[in-house]
Amino acid sequence: MTVYRIRARCVSQPATADWREQLASRLGSRPRRLGRWAELGLYGALECVAADAESTLSQQAALLLSSQHGPAAAMRSARAQAHEDLLLPVTFLQTQPSQLLATLSAQLRWCGDARFITNPDPLALLSLALAIAAGHADGLLLGWVNELGSESSLWLRLQPVADPGGAWRQTSDFGTLLQGASHVRQGQSQVEVIMNP
Amino acid sequence: MKPVYLVDRALASVLGLNLDQAMSGLRSSAAPTTTAYRLVGHGEVPYRRIPDAGHSSGWDARARALITQVAADAGAAQARHGALFIATSCQDGNAAERTQGDVDFHALSRRIGDWLDWLGPVFLISSACTSSMLALLSATEWLRAGTVAQALVLGVELDNRLTLPGFAALQLLSPSRSKPFAPQRDGLVLGEAVAALRLSTQQTAPWQLWGGANVVDGTEPTSASAKSVTQMCQRALAASGITATDVDLIKVQAAGSPGNDACEAEGLRAAFPRMPALVSLKPLIGHCLGACGAAEIALLLECLEQGYWPRYPDATDPALGVQLAAQAPPQLRRVLAATLGFGGSHAAVVLERSPP
Repeated sequence: MTVYRIRARCVSQPATADWREQLASRLGSRPRRLGRWAELGLYGALECVAADAESTLSQQAALLLSSQHGPAAAMRSARAQAHEDLLLPVTFLQTQPSQLLATLSAQLRWCGDARFITNPDPLALLSLALAIAAGHADGLLLGWVNELGSESSLWLRLQPVADPGGAWRQTSDFGTLLQGASHVRQGQSQVEVIMNP
Repeated sequence: MKPVYLVDRALASVLGLNLDQAMSGLRSSAAPTTTAYRLVGHGEVPYRRIPDAGHSSGWDARARALITQVAADAGAAQARHGALFIATSCQDGNAAERTQGDVDFHALSRRIGDWLDWLGPVFLISSACTSSMLALLSATEWLRAGTVAQALVLGVELDNRLTLPGFAALQLLSPSRSKPFAPQRDGLVLGEAVAALRLSTQQTAPWQLWGGANVVDGTEPTSASAKSVTQMCQRALAASGITATDVDLIKVQAAGSPGNDACEAEGLRAAFPRMPALVSLKPLIGHCLGACGAAEIALLLECLEQGYWPRYPDATDPALGVQLAAQAPPQLRRVLAATLGFGGSHAAVVLERSPP
């Protein structure tokens, strides 16, 4: 079974108050026409990639994005506009989760396998993500982005590596992936991790 | 590579509530009903709606009736310990009945899982027109990982309050009918579909899913790119361990869009120096967006097995350098099925039929 090192992570939960300023600073200007959810996702993904001292994503890596509500604010706006028979093209596009995938592709100067998939259990989603990553030589960039309630943008960069031979343990706590775990793999029935010493 | 079999399929579309009705309608040559929608500022547009079968009114009740029936037709009960992959781009339809509620993908997954008495994990994929192709790819990868032995891919695209106005706002809709690859193509005709594809690594069947590929190209966030169509084909072939000359038939996207049809044709020409036969199913059922990959595969396999081939009233645009086939290829073993969508998404899978 393939072992993945957690090369980098962005745990912005809740997102810092000035995340939009940080994003604009990183991009050199405020992004246009994205919608808040997509901006939040872009912010976290770029932070994660930068934490790995990268500015682009390897062309051999995949990208998987998840969210409970997706672009909720854009959806509210679209409904209100549709109710008035005035739905704007840009608003409709912002309701599509795939628009964030396109934005990430452009900003990361990367062209590859990107998917938006949801599951209420982040570890179940991680299991599927590891199955998808098996077909990609450079692993995966995996993110959860939510703008409702407390805004959050959580990202993990997983890189396939040789088994470091540490103490693998099953985990049912997604929090270990966000903090403490250094390696992850799919075990027989559960996700397994090695914790940082 | 662990073989993944497509063991059962079902479809509700404008052609009928199941594949038997669809094939019967196609053989009778009776034109399926087209619903005309009047959109403020855009006039009337055609829409290929699933026929009314006395379903309860309301989005949830109608969705439940269609989904449970189609899933049952595909033998979902045999797979309910496995994984369910729901593919849709009409998530707002469900929230429409909860006017103050936000879209909640988890709640929608749970609700559909409950309707089907599903016991395994439920994933939801939403990437516009490539949703169900990506669900099929994801399900295949999940099965190959060995976690479960059965999966059901469920494509769901039903009328809702955003899709038609949204596509109209983007000026993507045809005012008349679907004309794939035709010189006078003038946009999409959208449609409804609920489609189910049941996959298994234990139970064998004539059709196997081989590899596939998904290429997201952010340089063209609202349309296809020829270069990415080529890459999608080349990666799907490589993942399947075959070459371009091994493909006998391509199910194209060809939604009737002036720009995207041209990109698709250019990309296919680069990937296939000798072009296999091409088939388009959108004139039959419309463009069913998130469900289109599963819906068109279900319908295509039924057509192939029953010896039916679609007829196209329009000539192909000579400028595109491709042609839709007038009949099925005599020797048909491998099919590449492609979909293209918003977000610069290009996805394809390769299917292979076992020799008789």
